[in-house]
Amino acid sequence: MLLWRGSIDMTSATSAKRIDDNKNKSDRANREGLRGWLNPIIYGWERVSYWFQRLTGIFLLVYFIGHVYETSSLVSGPDAWAAMLEMTQTIGGHIFLILVIGASTFHTINGIRLIFTHSGQGLGTPGRPDYPYDPTSVNNKQRSGLWIAFILAAVAMLYGANVLFSGGE
Amino acid sequence: MTSDNTGNNRNKNKNTTTKWFSNVTLIRESQIMKIHYITAVGALFVVAIHIMMRLIMPFNMSLEFENVILNYKNVFYALLLESILILIAIHGFNGLRVILLEIRQTQIWERGVNILVIVAMIGIIAYGTRTIIIANGFSLG
Repeated sequence: MLLWRGSIDMTSATSAKRIDDNKNKSDRANREGLRGWLNPIIYGWERVSYWFQRLTGIFLLVYFIGHVYETSSLVSGPDAWAAMLEMTQTIGGHIFLILVIGASTFHTINGIRLIFTHSGQGLGTPGRPDYPYDPTSVNNKQRSGLWIAFILAAVAMLYGANVLFSGGE
Repeated sequence: MTSDNTGNNRNKNKNTTTKWFSNVTLIRESQIMKIHYITAVGALFVVAIHIMMRLIMPFNMSLEFENVILNYKNVFYALLLESILILIAIHGFNGLRVILLEIRQTQIWERGVNILVIVAMIGIIAYGTRTIIIANGFSLG
Protein backbone atom coordinates (compact mmCIF):
# COMPACT_ATOMS: atom_id res chain seq x y z
CA MET A 1 0.00 0.00 0.00
CA LEU A 2 1.32 3.43 -0.94
CA LEU A 3 1.33 6.12 1.77
CA TRP A 4 1.66 9.78 0.96
CA ARG A 5 4.18 11.35 3.34
CA GLY A 6 4.43 14.82 1.86
CA SER A 7 3.99 17.99 3.91
CA ILE A 8 1.08 20.34 3.38
CA ASP A 9 3.15 23.07 1.70
CA MET A 10 4.58 20.80 -1.02
CA THR A 11 3.77 21.57 -4.60
CA SER A 12 1.78 18.91 -6.42
CA ALA A 13 4.77 18.06 -8.64
CA THR A 14 7.04 17.42 -5.63
CA SER A 15 4.48 15.30 -3.84
CA ALA A 16 3.85 13.26 -6.97
CA LYS A 17 7.59 12.63 -7.25
CA ARG A 18 7.67 11.48 -3.59
CA ILE A 19 4.85 9.00 -4.23
CA ASP A 20 6.73 7.73 -7.31
CA ASP A 21 9.92 7.26 -5.26
CA ASN A 22 8.04 5.26 -2.61
CA LYS A 23 6.45 3.13 -5.32
CA ASN A 24 9.88 2.40 -6.88
CA LYS A 25 11.30 1.44 -3.47
CA SER A 26 8.45 -0.99 -2.82
CA ASP A 27 8.92 -2.47 -6.35
CA ARG A 28 12.61 -3.03 -5.68
CA ALA A 29 11.85 -4.70 -2.33
CA ASN A 30 9.72 -7.30 -4.13
CA ARG A 31 12.38 -8.10 -6.71
CA GLU A 32 14.22 -11.35 -6.12
CA GLY A 33 16.81 -10.53 -8.78
CA LEU A 34 19.61 -13.06 -9.30
CA ARG A 35 18.47 -15.14 -6.28
CA GLY A 36 15.10 -15.72 -7.94
CA TRP A 37 16.81 -16.67 -11.19
CA LEU A 38 19.05 -19.20 -9.44
CA ASN A 39 16.46 -20.75 -7.08
CA PRO A 40 15.81 -24.32 -8.34
CA ILE A 41 13.81 -25.50 -5.33
CA ILE A 42 10.21 -24.39 -5.80
CA TYR A 43 10.05 -24.49 -9.60
CA GLY A 44 10.93 -28.18 -10.22
CA TRP A 45 12.98 -29.79 -12.96
CA GLU A 46 12.05 -27.17 -15.55
CA ARG A 47 13.93 -24.57 -13.54
CA VAL A 48 16.89 -26.96 -13.27
CA SER A 49 16.80 -27.28 -17.07
CA TYR A 50 16.64 -23.47 -17.48
CA TRP A 51 19.58 -23.12 -15.07
CA PHE A 52 21.74 -25.81 -16.66
CA GLN A 53 21.09 -24.54 -20.18
CA ARG A 54 22.44 -21.12 -19.22
CA LEU A 55 25.33 -22.34 -17.08
CA THR A 56 26.50 -24.84 -19.71
CA GLY A 57 26.09 -22.11 -22.36
CA ILE A 58 28.33 -19.68 -20.47
CA PHE A 59 30.85 -22.46 -19.72
CA LEU A 60 30.97 -23.47 -23.39
CA LEU A 61 31.39 -19.84 -24.51
CA VAL A 62 34.38 -19.50 -22.15
CA TYR A 63 35.77 -22.80 -23.53
CA PHE A 64 35.21 -21.60 -27.12
CA ILE A 65 37.18 -18.39 -26.51
CA GLY A 66 39.93 -20.42 -24.80
CA HIS A 67 39.97 -22.93 -27.68
CA VAL A 68 40.33 -20.17 -30.30
CA TYR A 69 43.23 -18.73 -28.28
CA GLU A 70 44.76 -22.18 -27.75
CA THR A 71 44.72 -23.08 -31.45
CA SER A 72 46.27 -19.72 -32.35
CA SER A 73 49.55 -21.13 -30.95
CA LEU A 74 49.74 -23.13 -34.23
CA VAL A 75 51.03 -20.05 -36.04
CA SER A 76 53.99 -19.79 -33.62
CA GLY A 77 55.37 -23.18 -34.62
CA PRO A 78 55.54 -26.78 -33.28
CA ASP A 79 57.12 -25.86 -29.91
CA ALA A 80 54.40 -23.36 -29.01
CA TRP A 81 51.74 -25.88 -30.09
CA ALA A 82 53.31 -28.66 -27.98
CA ALA A 83 53.59 -26.36 -24.96
CA MET A 84 49.91 -25.36 -25.25
CA LEU A 85 48.87 -29.00 -25.73
CA GLU A 86 50.78 -29.98 -22.57
CA MET A 87 48.19 -28.08 -20.54
CA THR A 88 45.44 -30.49 -21.58
CA GLN A 89 47.60 -33.60 -21.00
CA THR A 90 47.28 -33.39 -17.21
CA ILE A 91 44.58 -34.98 -15.01
CA GLY A 92 43.07 -31.51 -14.44
CA GLY A 93 43.10 -30.86 -18.20
CA HIS A 94 41.39 -34.21 -18.86
CA ILE A 95 38.69 -33.50 -16.24
CA PHE A 96 38.11 -30.06 -17.79
CA LEU A 97 37.70 -31.60 -21.26
CA ILE A 98 35.31 -34.25 -19.86
CA LEU A 99 33.21 -31.43 -18.38
CA VAL A 100 33.25 -29.70 -21.79
CA ILE A 101 31.99 -32.92 -23.43
CA GLY A 102 29.20 -33.29 -20.84
CA ALA A 103 28.22 -29.62 -21.05
CA SER A 104 28.13 -29.59 -24.86
CA THR A 105 26.05 -32.80 -25.01
CA PHE A 106 23.52 -31.56 -22.44
CA HIS A 107 23.33 -28.10 -24.07
CA THR A 108 22.74 -29.67 -27.50
CA ILE A 109 20.07 -32.21 -26.50
CA ASN A 110 18.23 -29.84 -24.17
CA GLY A 111 18.55 -27.09 -26.81
CA ILE A 112 16.85 -29.32 -29.41
CA ARG A 113 14.05 -29.98 -26.88
CA LEU A 114 13.70 -26.22 -26.33
CA ILE A 115 13.52 -25.49 -30.08
CA PHE A 116 10.59 -27.94 -30.34
CA THR A 117 8.99 -26.50 -27.19
CA HIS A 118 9.31 -22.89 -28.42
CA SER A 119 7.65 -23.90 -31.67
CA GLY A 120 4.71 -25.36 -29.70
CA GLN A 121 5.53 -29.06 -30.10
CA GLY A 122 5.00 -31.47 -27.19
CA LEU A 123 3.22 -28.99 -24.96
CA GLY A 124 -0.09 -30.90 -24.74
CA THR A 125 -3.54 -29.43 -25.18
CA PRO A 126 -5.00 -26.82 -22.84
CA GLY A 127 -7.45 -28.23 -20.30
CA ARG A 128 -9.65 -27.19 -17.38
CA PRO A 129 -7.48 -26.28 -14.38
CA ASP A 130 -8.28 -29.00 -11.81
CA TYR A 131 -6.60 -29.83 -8.53
CA PRO A 132 -3.58 -30.25 -8.13
CA TYR A 133 -3.27 -27.72 -10.99
CA ASP A 134 -0.35 -29.37 -12.76
CA PRO A 135 0.26 -27.45 -16.01
CA THR A 136 -0.21 -29.65 -19.10
CA SER A 137 2.85 -28.02 -20.69
CA VAL A 138 5.07 -29.53 -17.98
CA ASN A 139 4.35 -33.09 -19.06
CA ASN A 140 6.21 -36.38 -19.35
CA LYS A 141 7.39 -35.57 -22.89
CA GLN A 142 9.19 -32.50 -21.62
CA ARG A 143 10.57 -34.27 -18.56
CA SER A 144 11.74 -37.30 -20.53
CA GLY A 145 13.52 -34.92 -22.95
CA LEU A 146 15.36 -33.45 -20.00
CA TRP A 147 16.30 -36.88 -18.61
CA ILE A 148 17.51 -38.01 -22.04
CA ALA A 149 19.77 -34.94 -22.09
CA PHE A 150 21.22 -35.83 -18.68
CA ILE A 151 21.70 -39.52 -19.58
CA LEU A 152 23.35 -38.80 -22.97
CA ALA A 153 25.63 -36.21 -21.31
CA ALA A 154 26.73 -38.86 -18.78
CA VAL A 155 27.32 -41.43 -21.57
CA ALA A 156 29.35 -38.90 -23.61
CA MET A 157 31.42 -38.02 -20.53
CA LEU A 158 32.17 -41.71 -19.92
CA TYR A 159 33.21 -42.16 -23.57
CA GLY A 160 35.39 -39.02 -23.37
CA ALA A 161 36.97 -40.21 -20.12
CA ASN A 162 37.73 -43.56 -21.74
CA VAL A 163 39.44 -41.90 -24.74
CA LEU A 164 41.40 -39.36 -22.67
CA PHE A 165 42.49 -41.61 -19.79
CA SER A 166 43.40 -44.55 -22.03
CA GLY A 167 46.20 -42.43 -23.47
CA GLY A 168 44.32 -41.38 -26.57
CA GLU A 169 44.61 -44.75 -28.31
CA MET B 1 -10.66 1.02 -31.57
CA THR B 2 -9.83 4.43 -30.12
CA SER B 3 -6.80 6.43 -31.07
CA ASP B 4 -5.33 5.72 -27.59
CA ASN B 5 -5.58 2.00 -28.19
CA THR B 6 -3.90 2.36 -31.55
CA GLY B 7 -1.08 4.27 -29.89
CA ASN B 8 -0.66 1.57 -27.23
CA ASN B 9 -0.51 -1.17 -29.85
CA ARG B 10 2.11 0.79 -31.74
CA ASN B 11 4.18 1.12 -28.56
CA LYS B 12 3.73 -2.58 -27.78
CA ASN B 13 5.06 -3.49 -31.23
CA LYS B 14 8.03 -1.19 -30.69
CA ASN B 15 8.87 -2.91 -27.41
CA THR B 16 9.22 -6.32 -29.04
CA THR B 17 12.08 -5.12 -31.22
CA THR B 18 15.74 -4.52 -30.46
CA LYS B 19 17.14 -1.03 -30.61
CA TRP B 20 20.85 -1.52 -31.00
CA PHE B 21 22.70 1.78 -30.75
CA SER B 22 20.01 4.39 -31.13
CA ASN B 23 16.27 4.54 -31.47
CA VAL B 24 16.51 3.01 -34.93
CA THR B 25 15.10 -0.52 -34.90
CA LEU B 26 17.34 -2.91 -36.83
CA ILE B 27 15.99 -6.37 -36.11
CA ARG B 28 13.11 -7.96 -34.19
CA GLU B 29 13.80 -10.20 -31.19
CA SER B 30 11.79 -12.98 -32.88
CA GLN B 31 14.17 -12.82 -35.85
CA ILE B 32 17.18 -12.86 -33.53
CA MET B 33 15.83 -16.04 -31.89
CA LYS B 34 15.39 -17.63 -35.34
CA ILE B 35 19.04 -16.79 -36.09
CA HIS B 36 19.93 -18.25 -32.67
CA TYR B 37 18.22 -21.56 -33.50
CA ILE B 38 19.53 -21.73 -37.08
CA THR B 39 23.12 -21.15 -35.93
CA ALA B 40 22.61 -23.83 -33.23
CA VAL B 41 21.49 -26.47 -35.74
CA GLY B 42 24.22 -25.43 -38.20
CA ALA B 43 26.89 -25.59 -35.49
CA LEU B 44 25.67 -29.03 -34.44
CA PHE B 45 26.51 -30.47 -37.89
CA VAL B 46 29.85 -28.73 -38.44
CA VAL B 47 31.09 -29.42 -34.89
CA ALA B 48 30.13 -33.10 -35.35
CA ILE B 49 32.39 -33.25 -38.46
CA HIS B 50 35.15 -31.38 -36.56
CA ILE B 51 35.04 -33.95 -33.72
CA MET B 52 34.88 -36.90 -36.12
CA MET B 53 38.08 -35.63 -37.77
CA ARG B 54 39.78 -36.08 -34.37
CA LEU B 55 38.41 -39.60 -33.91
CA ILE B 56 39.12 -41.19 -37.33
CA MET B 57 42.67 -41.82 -36.07
CA PRO B 58 44.11 -42.26 -32.55
CA PHE B 59 43.27 -39.08 -30.62
CA ASN B 60 46.89 -38.23 -29.67
CA MET B 61 48.10 -38.69 -33.25
CA SER B 62 45.33 -36.44 -34.59
CA LEU B 63 46.63 -33.59 -32.42
CA GLU B 64 50.23 -33.76 -33.67
CA PHE B 65 51.42 -30.47 -35.17
CA GLU B 66 51.99 -31.84 -38.69
CA ASN B 67 48.57 -33.47 -38.78
CA VAL B 68 46.77 -30.35 -37.56
CA ILE B 69 48.62 -28.15 -40.07
CA LEU B 70 47.67 -30.62 -42.84
CA ASN B 71 44.03 -30.22 -41.76
CA TYR B 72 44.30 -26.42 -41.98
CA LYS B 73 45.92 -26.62 -45.44
CA ASN B 74 42.87 -28.43 -46.76
CA VAL B 75 40.66 -25.63 -48.12
CA PHE B 76 37.40 -27.46 -47.37
CA TYR B 77 38.44 -28.12 -43.78
CA ALA B 78 39.57 -24.50 -43.40
CA LEU B 79 36.12 -23.38 -44.62
CA LEU B 80 34.51 -25.79 -42.13
CA LEU B 81 36.58 -24.27 -39.31
CA GLU B 82 35.62 -20.76 -40.42
CA SER B 83 31.93 -21.72 -40.44
CA ILE B 84 32.27 -23.23 -36.93
CA LEU B 85 33.93 -20.01 -35.79
CA ILE B 86 31.19 -17.78 -37.19
CA LEU B 87 28.21 -19.96 -36.18
CA ILE B 88 29.36 -20.52 -32.60
CA ALA B 89 30.45 -16.90 -32.13
CA ILE B 90 27.00 -15.66 -33.22
CA HIS B 91 25.13 -18.30 -31.18
CA GLY B 92 27.33 -17.99 -28.09
CA PHE B 93 27.43 -14.22 -27.85
CA ASN B 94 23.72 -13.89 -28.59
CA GLY B 95 23.08 -16.42 -25.81
CA LEU B 96 25.19 -14.31 -23.47
CA ARG B 97 23.21 -11.22 -24.57
CA VAL B 98 19.91 -12.97 -23.77
CA ILE B 99 21.15 -13.96 -20.29
CA LEU B 100 22.44 -10.45 -19.54
CA LEU B 101 19.19 -8.84 -20.71
CA GLU B 102 17.20 -11.19 -18.45
CA ILE B 103 19.14 -9.96 -15.43
CA ARG B 104 18.48 -6.26 -15.97
CA GLN B 105 16.26 -4.17 -18.24
CA THR B 106 17.28 -0.57 -18.73
CA GLN B 107 17.99 1.26 -21.95
CA ILE B 108 21.65 1.97 -21.05
CA TRP B 109 22.23 -1.66 -19.97
CA GLU B 110 20.61 -2.99 -23.16
CA ARG B 111 22.70 -0.75 -25.40
CA GLY B 112 25.87 -1.51 -23.44
CA VAL B 113 25.27 -5.28 -23.65
CA ASN B 114 24.49 -5.08 -27.39
CA ILE B 115 27.67 -3.12 -28.12
CA LEU B 116 29.77 -5.41 -25.89
CA VAL B 117 28.59 -8.65 -27.51
CA ILE B 118 28.95 -7.31 -31.07
CA VAL B 119 32.49 -6.08 -30.41
CA ALA B 120 33.43 -9.38 -28.70
CA MET B 121 31.85 -11.39 -31.52
CA ILE B 122 33.75 -9.47 -34.23
CA GLY B 123 36.96 -9.69 -32.16
CA ILE B 124 36.84 -13.48 -31.73
CA ILE B 125 35.89 -14.07 -35.38
CA ALA B 126 38.74 -11.83 -36.55
CA TYR B 127 41.26 -13.53 -34.23
CA GLY B 128 40.18 -17.05 -35.23
CA THR B 129 40.14 -16.13 -38.94
CA ARG B 130 43.72 -14.83 -38.61
CA THR B 131 44.80 -18.25 -37.27
CA ILE B 132 43.01 -20.10 -40.08
CA ILE B 133 44.49 -17.85 -42.78
CA ILE B 134 48.07 -18.05 -41.46
CA ALA B 135 47.92 -21.81 -40.80
CA ASN B 136 46.44 -22.34 -44.25
CA GLY B 137 49.61 -20.87 -45.71
CA PHE B 138 48.42 -17.50 -46.89
CA SER B 139 50.32 -14.45 -45.74
CA LEU B 140 48.57 -11.49 -44.19
CA GLY B 141 51.41 -9.34 -45.55
